[in-house]
Amino acid sequence: MFELFKEKASALMAEVYSFKNRKEALEFIKGFIKENTSSEDKKSVVWYDTWFLDGERKEDLLADLPQITFEFTPEIASQAKIGINEVDGAIAESGSLIEVSNHIQKRLVSSLPEIHIAILPKSRIFPDLKTALRSFNLTNTPYVTLISGPSRTADIERVLTIGVHGPERVIIVCVENL
Amino acid sequence: MLKEEIKKALEHPVISKALTNFYEAYVVAREKAYTGLDFEEIRNEIVRVKSYAAEHFDELIKKFTEQATKRGAKVFYTKDPKEVINYVLEVAKAHNVKTIVKSKSMATEEIHLNKHLQEAGIAVYETDLGEWIIQLAGQRPSHMVLPAIHLTRYEVSDIFTKKVDAVEPDIKKMVKFARKNLRDKFLKADLGITGANIAVAETGSIVIFTNEGNARLVLTLPKVHIAVVGIEKLVDKLEDIDPIVKALPRNATAQPITTYVSFITGKREHWDGTKKEVHIILFDNGRSEMAKDPVFKEALQCIRCASCLNVCPVFRLISGLVFGRVYTGGIGTILTVWTEGLKATKDIQNLCIQCGNCVKICPGKINIPDLILEIRRRLAEEEGLPLKVKAIYSVVNNRKLFHTALRMASKLQKPFKQGPFIRHLPLAFAELTQERSLPAIADKPFRDQVKKIKQPEGKEKVAFFAGCLIDFAYPEIGEALVKLLNRAGIRVIFPQEQTCCGAPALYNGVMDVAANNMLQNLKALEQENPDFILSACPTCTLVLKKKGLLALRNQKVSPELIAKAEKMAEKVIDASYFIHKLIKEGRITFSKPLEEEFTYHDPCHLKRSLNIWQEPRESLQKAGLKLKEMFESDICCGMGGSYSLKFPEISVKILERKLKNIQDTGANLVCTDCPGCIMQIRGGADKKGLAFKVKHSLEVLAERL
Repeated sequence: MFELFKEKASALMAEVYSFKNRKEALEFIKGFIKENTSSEDKKSVVWYDTWFLDGERKEDLLADLPQITFEFTPEIASQAKIGINEVDGAIAESGSLIEVSNHIQKRLVSSLPEIHIAILPKSRIFPDLKTALRSFNLTNTPYVTLISGPSRTADIERVLTIGVHGPERVIIVCVENL
Repeated sequence: MLKEEIKKALEHPVISKALTNFYEAYVVAREKAYTGLDFEEIRNEIVRVKSYAAEHFDELIKKFTEQATKRGAKVFYTKDPKEVINYVLEVAKAHNVKTIVKSKSMATEEIHLNKHLQEAGIAVYETDLGEWIIQLAGQRPSHMVLPAIHLTRYEVSDIFTKKVDAVEPDIKKMVKFARKNLRDKFLKADLGITGANIAVAETGSIVIFTNEGNARLVLTLPKVHIAVVGIEKLVDKLEDIDPIVKALPRNATAQPITTYVSFITGKREHWDGTKKEVHIILFDNGRSEMAKDPVFKEALQCIRCASCLNVCPVFRLISGLVFGRVYTGGIGTILTVWTEGLKATKDIQNLCIQCGNCVKICPGKINIPDLILEIRRRLAEEEGLPLKVKAIYSVVNNRKLFHTALRMASKLQKPFKQGPFIRHLPLAFAELTQERSLPAIADKPFRDQVKKIKQPEGKEKVAFFAGCLIDFAYPEIGEALVKLLNRAGIRVIFPQEQTCCGAPALYNGVMDVAANNMLQNLKALEQENPDFILSACPTCTLVLKKKGLLALRNQKVSPELIAKAEKMAEKVIDASYFIHKLIKEGRITFSKPLEEEFTYHDPCHLKRSLNIWQEPRESLQKAGLKLKEMFESDICCGMGGSYSLKFPEISVKILERKLKNIQDTGANLVCTDCPGCIMQIRGGADKKGLAFKVKHSLEVLAERL
């Protein structure tokens, strides 16, 4: 399932990485942040976290990477380069992420910054849309988005251009043992 | 007016080039996007889901309203466009709204909502890149999915520079420019307006597709959200969205999936912790009336992918700037009947050439050309016909008068005739022969010539229905068919009372004349009780076999006559199919198998209405010819019967492409099975002095006996 998902998502220009556990995934994310932002740039990384950092000391993380902020308004998210959140599932047949966002902040980080890092539990990859829809109770969820690659347009001369109103890069961090 | 617009579009440096380039890439990419999927299965699902919804609008509106209301949305259903405008204005007033961001919504364009909001002093920003460009330029979208396809990067840069800020004509830079400029609008807007691609009754959810991500921001950032949703977007169950999610992006832009598919269910929180206000306007504007119409309810199966525009040979020349109103192309014309009234389609409905290329691609299985014919019929009924047209059909309605006129024309044409062609016509008729020579009317029609052919005495007998073109312009095609049939020992009878098949009247909505033609032919053809009735013109075949029956039913002729016509219809076979069968059975063999290359042009009605395309190719190959397929062999040649008289300027443009595709094969012979296509292609080749021959397949086969 993961292989199919990776193939389909990569075809949509998402970047897919897979890690054995949370620790490895976090190391990758930290490295990515260092590579793409400077610690001088305050609030250049907006992170909406609900479980991934459980057990981590956020103070240590912030000391290491002061560019991260866990509290933000739309204006801040709009200025940020990287937005990080956990997604709730994925669909193998189309290479899509499923983002259930009861909280608006979760959506802001995937829709406003230039780069979206999506943390995906490997066990949450569904084969197809129908199966996925059955496992999400839409009636309890005000906002669900299927995200398939970075934002794109071809409105000028039919030339495909990546990164219009949403992110121009989508980094999928798939984690196996959680 | 329409003629001027056509001229402007045809002379436009970008329109047809951009649409044609897109089309060529689209066809290939779409095919690829469907790899591993069964398009037929998907579209059958869409038909099931959408037609169910259309038959249960009242129930689904009620269910949706209940579900969405329960979850905190305010739902307002109205039939009246004015009430939509007032509702939006009231919400805007209540929240002291100064600026609005919008993601694409055709329903709001239908009621010109932006105009009304701006008049109320509110700034409105379209946020889809193409729509924003069009809004800044003060233009109308030229395509439902690709609104700015008629503009070059240079024009876009000019528009931006003039209306917003200076930016160079570099696409990547201009996209970034849009991101930066609109981001500010998103963050400051007090109200967001969206449409919806689907509304799910069972959960009260709306589903919105965007590639750019603008809808997510419209939905997320402003405090208030209004969705204006046409009720045709309703489906019953959540799982009903599956075939639409699959087909919409693949058919619209050949993408496997749209980048963002968002599901909104009820009220959600605002970023400051307060609750957001969500209004859903279920908008009718003629749709529930449409659902009650036995013919037009089919159009409610439309999912607005606009693939029918992508493959339309007329649309790709003139775009939605000419062909359509708010909704564009053939489907747009049909929707306009319900959103603006039948009269609003009076001019544009003529633009459909009836080639049927859209039917095979439509994910809602809508027979667009048939629905356009129904518009023509209703217009003819309600508005009456222009006097000139009426005069022509009163002649066609009377066989003797019609045939006398044709014989007279054969004499009158002498001064203009050059061999088998008429290359120039004077004054008002000049346009008809500007780019294409017309065939001269034969000295002796087939109906006279056939009398001299001695028929074999066999048991089998078929009646030949010649149709006007073979009878009066190309009698040699009729002779070829008789020769082939005689070779198989089959006797050919030619009922002299046969007349025009009725296609010209039928395709112009003049059903009484079409029905009358059909009845005359029924009487003539059934008189000698033939085993089969053959026609070598696919349009005649189609009328005698299928469409003529519709005319009879429409004119409410007696059930006995309809039963008779149905019985006759069973016997009607296109000659290309019948001859192929005889060849396969070994009843026709060829003694002169000259090796010669040919290319084949598929007549629209033969391929798409009668599903015959392999047979004529096989027959010709059996006769020793070598096939070199041309690009787009089944795209219309631009003839379209009387279309080429109504819009010669469009007809010749379509023809030019066909001629080029033929030339590119390098074959010196192009075969086809329709005298109309022969007239068009041969006439164009003659005008341009092109070397290839254009022949009816039957002629080529008969030469090789």
